[in-house]
This record gives sequence, C-alpha cells and structure tokens, in this order.
Amino acid sequence: MTDILVDMLLDGLFAAAAAIGFGAISDPGVKTFPYIALLAAVGHALRFALINYAGVDIVTGSLAASVSMGMLSMPMGRACHTPMTCLLIPALLPMIPGMYAYRSVFALIMLVQNIGSDMQLLNYLEQFTVNSAVTVMVIGVLAGGSILPVLLFKKQAFSMTRYRHK
Amino acid sequence: MNEIQSSSPLGDVMDFCSKYAAYMFGCGVHTSRVVRCTERIACSQHVEVDISYTLQHFVMTMRDPSDGSAMTRVCTAEKLPISFLRNSDLSALSWQAVDDKLGLDELWTRFNRLTAKPRINQHVVLALVGVANACFCRLFGGDATAMLVVFVATLIGFGLRQQMQKRGVNHYIVFVVSAYVASMCASVSLLLDCTAEIAIATSPLFLIPGVPLINSCVDVLDGHVLVGFSRLISTMLLIMCIAIGLSFTLLLIKGSLL
Repeated sequence: MTDILVDMLLDGLFAAAAAIGFGAISDPGVKTFPYIALLAAVGHALRFALINYAGVDIVTGSLAASVSMGMLSMPMGRACHTPMTCLLIPALLPMIPGMYAYRSVFALIMLVQNIGSDMQLLNYLEQFTVNSAVTVMVIGVLAGGSILPVLLFKKQAFSMTRYRHK
Repeated sequence: MNEIQSSSPLGDVMDFCSKYAAYMFGCGVHTSRVVRCTERIACSQHVEVDISYTLQHFVMTMRDPSDGSAMTRVCTAEKLPISFLRNSDLSALSWQAVDDKLGLDELWTRFNRLTAKPRINQHVVLALVGVANACFCRLFGGDATAMLVVFVATLIGFGLRQQMQKRGVNHYIVFVVSAYVASMCASVSLLLDCTAEIAIATSPLFLIPGVPLINSCVDVLDGHVLVGFSRLISTMLLIMCIAIGLSFTLLLIKGSLL
C-alpha cells in the first residue's frame, strides 16, 4: 500500500513540474502556479492509479481524470479569480499521450518505407491505426472531459474573474 | 419609456470595444469569453453590441438604444503571444466595468496598464520548459540519463524556437525546425545506455499547441462551430509540423531504433 502511495505521489510530483513548465510558455500569472501544479498532480496521479491498479484502459482513465480536473478547477478558479481554462490547459498537457503519438509517426514512416513488402506493410499499418486511434481518443476525452464542467456550470465558469459577487 | 443615455459617443465605445476584443482574440481567449466580455463592457456603457467572427477577423455592430444610431466596424484580431494572465486580467476588467461603473477613460487607463504588464522572463521560461520536458520523459518511463538528454535537447529546441519567433520566421517552419532539432539532439541517447526511444519521443512535445487545441474544442461544443473548426485545422497543421520534424530525425536514425 505504501509503495502504491509513493508511486502515485512521485507521478503527481513529476506531472506538477511538467505542468508548471509547459504552462510558463503561455504566461500564466505567478499566483496560478500552485493551482496548476495541484490540478496536474491530482489528475495525473488519478489516471496513473486507475490504469496501473484498477485495470482501467488509458482512454477511460483519461476521461475520469479530465472530468475530475474540470470539477476541481471550479473552486480553484474561484479562489484565484482566474478562468478555469487558464488552469486546466497547462494541467492537461502532461497527460498528452506522447508515446502513442510517437509510435504513430514511426509506424507511418516505416509503412512508407515498406510499401513493397505486404507483411511488413500490414504490420506497420496496424501499428499506425492502433496508436493514432488511441492518441486521438485520449486527446479528445482530455479536452471534452475537462471542459464539461465549463459547459455545465456556464454561469459560474464565466464569473470566476469577478471580484465582487452579487 | 425611460431611456438610458449612452455615457460616451458611440464611436468612442466602438474604439475601445474593438481594441479590447481584438486583443483578447489575439492572446488566445476562446470565442464565447471574448463575446461575453465585450458585451459586458458595451452594456456598462449603455450600448448594445453584436459580433460576427472568423479566426482572424470579426465584424462588430454597435447600437445606441437611446437614439437608435448604429455603427459597424470590421476588425482584425491582433497577433500576440498566448497569455493566460491577460486573459484573466481582461476578463476581470469587464466585470469591473459593470460593478464599478467605469467610464471609458478609466477603462482605457486600466486596459493600457494591464496589457503593459511584463511577461515572464524568457530565460526563466526556457529553464522551466527544459525541466518540464525532462519530467514528462520520466512520466513515460524514461530513466535519469534519458531525462538529462531530454532536458538538454529541450533547451536547444525551445531556445531555437524563441529565437526564430523573435525574428518573425514562419510559424510552421518554426515548428518543423524546432521538432527536428530537439529530436535530433535527443537521438544522442542512442549512444548511451538509457531509454533512448522515450527520450526521442518526448523531446519535441514542448511544441504541442495545447491552448488552441482546447479552445477549438470549447468553441465547437459551445456552438461556435465555424471558428472552432478553423482553430482545429490550424492546430492540426501545427501538430503535423511537429510530426514532420520528428520524421526527419526518425528517417535518419530508424536503423538504430528497429
């Protein structure tokens, strides 16, 4: 049990560092960094636990994590008077399925290089299809799941930056 | 019927609102937020506004209900670096306009002050992105050597991107070249005893255009389908550029990866 917690904590820690760095490219306010880090850590650690300990696939795990992050970003956005998307986008970036995207590109290159060989061609075509499908689905559920609360609670989502509440 | 007189001439309100919306579109704010915030500011000046928009331009029509006068202007979204801070500050300004009943002069003063705020130092950003990509490598199962290689490759790739953007190089070329250079630098890991494939796969990921990708999804799901798909296509082009840059490297080193 302790091992699982340590693994989850480490995963969350690296995800938080990645989110801060990627977020810095888009000029977030300094006050939002702790929220972005916490959001990324919670989301990534949740997906890590679901995939590794609950036997959930990466797409469902990403959906559960992104919806949780979307919900969590509401009180956070309210606390730092920042639009939810400004916290969510950097926090989501460490969840991009980079290895699947890379394998898709690699399989595509190998596919083109092996046009003459039917066996190899089919093998690379299969690899390309599987990896690109996972990449597209994960990115889709990350985007869709995280903005679901923005669309469900529109009024609250669009008044995060209001300092005086009536 | 009680009519509320517009506090400023329509043209002056149009000047501010068009500048405000162009700036917000430019710094990476999704469409419905720009429209809502602009409407809020127009409402605080007792005028009505309608906005029709594409990816790079928008048409704004303003009406003064007190005398029925109207004005239409075609505007171009400004080309600015993405900024969450300005997104947040300018959204807050629209609420202040309503809650504190700000006049146009005060709005201009606050707008100019907010947009003049300095961005994070570019050297600090470079270091943070390097660390971020190294951590990303670890999340994919990379070892310490691979993380170090990715850190250095990212510093070189992202540093090159910053320099090319400063010199106004075409956006797509910036993405292809940065992805190629970063992944080529990361391919040094093939000479070391480490998780080389993970290092190469991770190295160009600092280029992923997360903001336009999420904004396009928000726009489409929020009913702004045309502009959402326009954003999505331009984002896909950028992702293809990353893939092309990475492909150049993979073509050169594919023998070592098989």
